[in-house]
Amino acid sequence: MTTLSFSLLIGPLLRFQDALVCLAKYSDTVAIEAEPDLLRLSALNSSKTAYAAFAFESDSFFESYTFEPDTNAGGSRTRGGKFSCQVYLKTLLPVFRGRTGGRGRDTAVERCELAVQDDLDETECRLVIKMMCGLGVVRSYKLTYEPTTIQHAIFDRSKATNEWCIEPRFLKEITHHFSPSAEQLDMHSENTKAIFTSFTTKITDGKEILRQPVHTSVAIDKKDFEQYLADDGVHVAISLKDFKAVIAHAETARVIITALYTRPCRPLQLAYDFEGIRTEFTLMTTGEPGPDDVPTSSRPVPQLSARQTPAAAQASQAGSSGNSGQMPPPRSRPVRPLTGTASRSAEPNTQATMQQTPSSKFDSLFVPADDDRQWDVADDDEPGAEDMLGWDASANLDNPDSLGPRLRDSEPSFADIGNQMDVSRQDEMGIPPTQRMSQLHGLGLFD
Amino acid sequence: MRFRTEVVNTATLTKLVGSLSSLGKVCWMRLEPSTIRFTIIPDQGTQVWAQLPVESIFEETDYTLESNTGAINLEVPLSSLHRALRSAAAAKWVQLRLTQKNRVPLLALTIRARSRVKGGIALGTTNASATDPGDANDRNGNGPGEPATATAPAPREDGGEGGGGRERETFITQEIPVKVLHETAVEGLHEPRCRDPDVHIILPDLFQLKSISERFTKLAADSSSSLKAAASASTSAPVSGLSAPGGSMSVSGVSPKLELSANMHGSLRLAVATDALRISSVWTDLANPALDPSQLSQTQIEQLPSERMRALPGDDEAGWAKVRIDGKDWARVLSVGRMNPKVVACFIHETALVLYVYLPGGWSEDESCLTYYINSYLN
Repeated sequence: MTTLSFSLLIGPLLRFQDALVCLAKYSDTVAIEAEPDLLRLSALNSSKTAYAAFAFESDSFFESYTFEPDTNAGGSRTRGGKFSCQVYLKTLLPVFRGRTGGRGRDTAVERCELAVQDDLDETECRLVIKMMCGLGVVRSYKLTYEPTTIQHAIFDRSKATNEWCIEPRFLKEITHHFSPSAEQLDMHSENTKAIFTSFTTKITDGKEILRQPVHTSVAIDKKDFEQYLADDGVHVAISLKDFKAVIAHAETARVIITALYTRPCRPLQLAYDFEGIRTEFTLMTTGEPGPDDVPTSSRPVPQLSARQTPAAAQASQAGSSGNSGQMPPPRSRPVRPLTGTASRSAEPNTQATMQQTPSSKFDSLFVPADDDRQWDVADDDEPGAEDMLGWDASANLDNPDSLGPRLRDSEPSFADIGNQMDVSRQDEMGIPPTQRMSQLHGLGLFD
Repeated sequence: MRFRTEVVNTATLTKLVGSLSSLGKVCWMRLEPSTIRFTIIPDQGTQVWAQLPVESIFEETDYTLESNTGAINLEVPLSSLHRALRSAAAAKWVQLRLTQKNRVPLLALTIRARSRVKGGIALGTTNASATDPGDANDRNGNGPGEPATATAPAPREDGGEGGGGRERETFITQEIPVKVLHETAVEGLHEPRCRDPDVHIILPDLFQLKSISERFTKLAADSSSSLKAAASASTSAPVSGLSAPGGSMSVSGVSPKLELSANMHGSLRLAVATDALRISSVWTDLANPALDPSQLSQTQIEQLPSERMRALPGDDEAGWAKVRIDGKDWARVLSVGRMNPKVVACFIHETALVLYVYLPGGWSEDESCLTYYINSYLN
């Protein structure tokens, strides 16, 4: 049986609630994980393109924190000295709402105690929350939680080549100019300016020109950044909604946001630490792959602003892919509904069930590497996969292979394909494609 | 076809577009060498014909207009334009030009905004430690109530700009998709013509008129909807089913009609009548502006219907010209009050109400005028 209980004073309680409010913008459920030295709240959106995590340090954030993992290791709820579960935010958020009273009432919340009820003798899987209010009023809640394994997006900060830090208020000011219907945000820099452009990839027919969304681009000086170490001309695009959610939270914390990324179609991380809370948001980016990236045959490239690299550049990239001295950096791709791959979703309990909402234009953070380039001849002097990003139920970066199945969004090179074959990935994928879709046109009845 | 100009009077343009956007989704914007016209012709409701001299909103010396026909006609989505213009609220310099991208014509609004980093321009965050967390040591008398070192500051690259604050510059480009209308598409459009008004009067403060109108509309809507609810409870309720998919009108069916009437003795009456109630407000001592004598001869003036109305005594009901207007639509029309204009209302008895809205400012009145044509409903 696991013992987990902690208490929060009013200040940290507000922070805790802010975190939950922020996570609610990503997912319906929040994953709660306890480790001896931290408590982590995280959420992964349904299309698996955005991941948000808040890690609260047990000694500095909480008034008290007790965690004793289940010594009887057979239980599935605790693995490797951790406890993890998930809770519906719709039920959890109202518990914290109105917690301060706000109206200066005597019965405003003064502290909060949370405990997990994991005892076989009692009703199991209950999260017990007690709000200690003034005048001795105690509000108690018992919520059901679901013991589960948690998926994390792993982002290797040391591999990120672009970095900038800025106060959230500048970013917020930028988003004020965007149309409320704008969906995506492209970021790049030119000379002394960092340029943020909102756009929407909605397809409108010619008659509806006036309904097309307004494109807004806002250029701010690089001097507005605390630090700007990103390459000019690198366009990365993320979901504007996710971006706004980060800013809204960072504003409440009044901390400098750090952004780390490598290039388009690779994850971008926004992170900041404050008051014993480590916050990170890993967002998948879109955009045109850089010149050292291989264009994929059938994936439509999101339409960006006119400053975008012209399409002609793509053709020349194709030729360079085979003989460049470097293995082309891998990129993930969206799961496309292809005939004959219905088996892909047949394993709901693997960690890597890749359901992507049809509306999403983003590559998932975790899409299995189904690119047919893995059948290409590998170069000998192939560098290690970049920007490792994978499943890790343990979130243990030091020992990533220690636990269970995991995925990289990077494609395996032939060098490590052998290691990869024995994990659940292959079940996940069914039979990998052997031909490009673009080559199939000759086989159709009506071609 | 080319159009490029600097917007010098962003506030006026923003307010104008804002008040127009309450009346229609799109407007016909006609750019001519010396005037700009905004026209809204909705399927139903009030027509607006607004004409402004170029210099009232644009920089005259920086106004480029090239077109075969001498004018450019655009169909512009008003809410997008209004939103885009709001970015220009604190702008130093605003440029508006016609351009295109991927064969989609665009009105591009380029805005250069300046602000100072320190000194409270920030949005909400007045906390100085968030503004500049890197150099907390060289400011210590910085005002009370700051959570001192709550933040975990990122390492500063350069300490050079920490001290005195700094001017920031932001460039914002808003690209609004528009439709270019061919001259043949608009040549059939003409301003409505109506006969000479029976009564012309300067409206009282529009804000007051608007709030009273809205109050009346709401009272009438409440009373009629409760009546309707009672009626539909007794019958088998086909009424609400009819009106439900109607669109912009209120959910409870057709919105109430207000009775607006005025005489040539400075009185204006706003009234609403339903089966359940009858209320009215009367303004007195308003001005009935004199017509320009230079345009009409004395005998012509004497023959005008308004002069006949003026001859009738103030307490004679025959001296009142009356129109019935839609309450919701009227409230939208009155949103032009944000421009703080002078409004002359011309009543054509039982036919129409024409509002001449003159914008404040140094421009001559005939040049910058918004004309609202409101049809009177039958009783």
